[in-house]
Amino acid sequence: MFFHIVLERNMQLHPRHFGRNLREHIISKLMKDVEGTCSGRHGFVVAITSVENIGKGLIRDGTGFVTFPVKYQCVVFRPFKGEILEAVVSMVNKMGFFAEAGPVQIFVSNHLIPDDMEFQSGDMPNYTTSDGSVKIQKDSEVRLKIIGTRVDATEIFCIGTIKDDFLGVINDPTTI
Amino acid sequence: MADEDYNDLDMGYEDEPPEPEIEEGAEEDAENINNDDINGEPIETEEKEEQEQKEAARKTSKYMTKYERARILGTRALQISMNAPVMVELEGETDPLEIAMKELRERKIPFTIRRYLPDGSYEDWGVDELIVEDSWKRQVGGD
Repeated sequence: MFFHIVLERNMQLHPRHFGRNLREHIISKLMKDVEGTCSGRHGFVVAITSVENIGKGLIRDGTGFVTFPVKYQCVVFRPFKGEILEAVVSMVNKMGFFAEAGPVQIFVSNHLIPDDMEFQSGDMPNYTTSDGSVKIQKDSEVRLKIIGTRVDATEIFCIGTIKDDFLGVINDPTTI
Repeated sequence: MADEDYNDLDMGYEDEPPEPEIEEGAEEDAENINNDDINGEPIETEEKEEQEQKEAARKTSKYMTKYERARILGTRALQISMNAPVMVELEGETDPLEIAMKELRERKIPFTIRRYLPDGSYEDWGVDELIVEDSWKRQVGGD
């Protein structure tokens, strides 16, 4: 799920960036530091939409650096248990397959793939139904449900299932 | 670096309402350069004086202590040595400490001193508000 939230961060700024462009320097450094990162608490920071305010700086003793508390609005993406996501398959093997929904990687074990789908090895490994009408391979788009998340300090990893109604392949790259 | 380029930096800091800082560590001098973003243009000195009047009465000395002076000169010289823009016109000075002393003499150091009192409260004094006395008893500031 996506959220638009206000976060705060203390930015350390080198003295060489002081001057009239100080605000721009802080904002560009903030974007470089924060966008694309993942925190276990909030999820992936997708983008910073605006900077609400930059507080008073505080001089760090001994280094001459200045710390500014910066409040910014950003879009974060955090997967939840039970959430339905659409994802692109990135790797298929006999244990199951990996899919990516933006920055988050989701593993779907072969126990959580419908029983009528069988693993086919080869140079393009895939899962196929017995009648061959549905095929999951690399670059397929699947709709899946998240049944478990592992949240580390800097990483979120999910386990998904497609063994449920209305889940599975939503389009097949080979048929386009 | 030309002095007029950075007018807004050291002028801009008066016009912010005093707000409690939720920073850890007993830092004394708060950097104020950031406030130039709140007012894009350099504000006039008169405006600054008005703001000064509004501030609640402060009870600590209007003289800068030698410890404050030492810390400010040290910090500022360190920043200048790290390529911070210089707030005064240079006349061939190259030593960061010398430049910092010149800035202090011209009261162009963009710092605020946060004086913590024994009860944990604090007073903020801009470096340009304090009377500086050097080791030869020469005074700068205090108008």
